[in-house]
Amino acid sequence: MSDLDRVRGEIERVDRALLGLIGERVRAARRAAAAKRAARMPTLDPAQEAAVIRRAATLAREAGLPEEDVRDVFWLIIGLTRRAEQEGSGAVAEQR
Amino acid sequence: MVIAMQAHATAEQVDAVREQLEQAGMRTVAGRDGVRVLIGCFGEVDTIAPVAVATLPGVESVVPWRTPYRLAGRQLSPAARTVVRLGDGAQASVGDASLLVIAGPCSVEGREMLLEAARGVGRAGAGALRGGAFKPRTSPYAFQGLGLDALRWLAEVRRETGLPVVTEVLDPRQVDLVAEHADVLQVGARNMQNFPLLAEVGRVRRPVLLKRGLSATVTELLLAAEYVLARGNRDVILCERGIRTFEPATRNTLDIAAIPVLRCETHLPVIVDPSHAGGRADLVAPLAYAAIAAGADGLIVEVHPHPEAARSDGDQSLSLAGFTELMRGLTPFAAAAGRTLVQPQTPGREAAA
Repeated sequence: MSDLDRVRGEIERVDRALLGLIGERVRAARRAAAAKRAARMPTLDPAQEAAVIRRAATLAREAGLPEEDVRDVFWLIIGLTRRAEQEGSGAVAEQR
Repeated sequence: MVIAMQAHATAEQVDAVREQLEQAGMRTVAGRDGVRVLIGCFGEVDTIAPVAVATLPGVESVVPWRTPYRLAGRQLSPAARTVVRLGDGAQASVGDASLLVIAGPCSVEGREMLLEAARGVGRAGAGALRGGAFKPRTSPYAFQGLGLDALRWLAEVRRETGLPVVTEVLDPRQVDLVAEHADVLQVGARNMQNFPLLAEVGRVRRPVLLKRGLSATVTELLLAAEYVLARGNRDVILCERGIRTFEPATRNTLDIAAIPVLRCETHLPVIVDPSHAGGRADLVAPLAYAAIAAGADGLIVEVHPHPEAARSDGDQSLSLAGFTELMRGLTPFAAAAGRTLVQPQTPGREAAA
């Protein structure tokens, strides 16, 4: 196996881990959405989203990663999670 | 609005301002003007009053956006210029001191002709290969391109010659397919305001060559680029290719003034298509010289191994010899404009020396 093959294998492993983590985040967000609905709170929480972005930006800076790119990535993840939450709320509505 | 932070503002103060704006539903992008951080706000309307932002710690001033194009404009980072790297980045770039020349046939008519064209333009100093697979023709009865076969040949010829490939994408549904085969996605003049297509090429991470529409203003071109940038693709190359005027002596009228205007208005690279502008092979060289003198970052030129037999745009295509001659002729203009240009290979001359 060449060095390139080894590195590609490593990248694939990281990609799979990332996908697993995104799935985990979506499931956690669905649980958070259910808890918010039970407490009659709105599921959309811009202040919390902004705080998540700020935390990601700070961590990116500390890790020496490009901050603006990391912000973009987290906005995408937040968008993906938000859609999953909304789908979850639709499913609940249908069950009722 | 754009928020200028004080020169000594801390990273935490910048973060806090951005968080406030994002809590209010806006998006922010940071830029820099010398030592000051600038924060650009994005959203249909400002959901927080500028006067409220001005009182936040570390804020120096709050001003409105000067232009409707925000990411394409220069307000957020006045000193920055975007450099777009083609292929693996080592082969060609545009927007820096080099002069990028993209050359090749209007349409890919077969594998052998494409390879002949690619080898010829590569030897003459071209930095990238152009070739149409999907052709937007005015008449539905004109040659429409060879589609997927042409894309495969483009990818094969890239492997054989090392030249990055530029080809047009016509349909939002074909963006992923074209991106699998090409290094640069071209959005043609007729599609400059095809907003679903712009959004799709903004989604994929391939440089986009955006040609000015036949009747588009500079502002409309920059707003079209904004659609791509707003989707997260920062690698946009603008192309002036002539606009439609009352003058029938040329196919279009090359808007030379648009080059310095664009370089003033945007950080994006600007290239010129002298082939479509003039519509005649004999006009390619003088229009190319003028473009370089006016500050263009590069050229895209139609070259065919046998222009007389070309299935499209033969009148405006240079032969391989004509292209080599053009590249030699560009040298003094490139030097005068402070640009570096790859010289044609001349093995005969080396052997003589």
